[in-house]
Amino acid sequence: MGTTKKISLSEEELVSKLKNRDTIAVQALYDMYSGALLGVISRIIQQTEVAEDLLQETFIKIWNSADSYDSSKGRLFTWMMNIARNLAIDKLRSKDFKNSGKNQDIENNVDFIDAQKEVTFNADILGIKDMVTALKPEFNNVLDMVYFKGYTHVETAEELNLPLGTVKTRIRMAIMELRKHFN
Amino acid sequence: MEEVKAYIESGILELYVLGQLNAQEQIEVEAMASKYPEIKREIEAIEIAMEQYAVQNAIQPSVNLENKILEKIGTSKTTEKPEPIIEPVKIIEPAKEAVIVPLNTAPYESKIKSLRIALVACIALLAVSIVALYSAHNQLGVAKDQIASLSLNNEKFTSTVNFMKQSNADLQKIIDMNNDPDWKAVKLAGTDMDPKAKMTVYWHAKGKHVMVDNSKMDLPANDQQHQYQLWAIVNGKPVDLGVFDVKSDSTHILLAMKEIGSAAAFAVTLEKKGGSVSPTMNQMIVIGNVSI
Repeated sequence: MGTTKKISLSEEELVSKLKNRDTIAVQALYDMYSGALLGVISRIIQQTEVAEDLLQETFIKIWNSADSYDSSKGRLFTWMMNIARNLAIDKLRSKDFKNSGKNQDIENNVDFIDAQKEVTFNADILGIKDMVTALKPEFNNVLDMVYFKGYTHVETAEELNLPLGTVKTRIRMAIMELRKHFN
Repeated sequence: MEEVKAYIESGILELYVLGQLNAQEQIEVEAMASKYPEIKREIEAIEIAMEQYAVQNAIQPSVNLENKILEKIGTSKTTEKPEPIIEPVKIIEPAKEAVIVPLNTAPYESKIKSLRIALVACIALLAVSIVALYSAHNQLGVAKDQIASLSLNNEKFTSTVNFMKQSNADLQKIIDMNNDPDWKAVKLAGTDMDPKAKMTVYWHAKGKHVMVDNSKMDLPANDQQHQYQLWAIVNGKPVDLGVFDVKSDSTHILLAMKEIGSAAAFAVTLEKKGGSVSPTMNQMIVIGNVSI
């Protein structure tokens, strides 16, 4: 089990292999980003099983629509992340998921909280968590709604009863904080 | 450059990275990015920040998910495959069973063999039993027939003995009557109706007993509609002494009739069954006078 060899390729290699339908690209993408993508999905859909199904769908969609990726328009991960987020948000808004949510038992939520706690104890993340909570709550709240809750920035403005410009500014401020942290 | 800075600060690039823009807005941002390297760098910085943020918040998926995904895509990881390790184990198990089977067959076969012998023995025993039962049944039938014939013989003997006893008693009585002077033997002779007919009547005048002797009777057998009627002639008038039948298989030799104290003669007429009040004179078959 411990012999898993993580494949890591440069972004150019990944993109060219993906477009040439070389399956090694999927393996590399999985090794490099499956955790990050599942993290994104899990912030939107809490149930582990559903989230993993969505991760599977995400990779299939990445594989099948590799041609539509244009590196001039953005980074590969941004493209993948938006595929994952859109699938998760579609799921969140789907009728069957809403219905199943009503019967959601407490155990799944506890699991999720545990999973989150686990992440919190990760030393690498400790700083981010502190940073994010250190953000002014109103900034954090706006980024959260757009990034994790599936609101559009227009919906967020309506929901928070804020001008659209203010919402945009707050999203920018939140991301600026993140950038500051990682640089 | 002021324009670019304002554009960056508007927050539209963040929305672009977050996928919040419509198609037209996206094209606009992309045009701006290709026009101004600063904008392109800004977008990349935002992307990297979001990417880092995502990587730092990673959640590891289940172990088997990768293979599931690769299977769906139509490939599987060649570097590590736990299946081939499991497969030999799977092969060993049936092999073990294959070894066990021949070991087990020997006792099973001997068991089957002994069971077969037992079955054959049972069938043979059953056949013998059926034959024995059949012969026993036949013997029983023969025995039943024998019992039936024996009991029939027994009945015959019994009836013969009874008949002989009765005959013997009757004959003894006749001898006694002949020796007794009080008993009178009256011989009745045939009339014109049947001259060959004859019979004997024993009469005890004191005791008023009247007996008919079957053994010394020679009358034609009567039919079902008629019976013989014995009459005593007293003072010239016939007195009924009862009816009797003449049969070939009569058991009694002596037949007791009605009592009479005095009689000059005895006669027998053939009357309708049960007898008549007065004799039918033309049907008188025998008559005999009492000798004094």
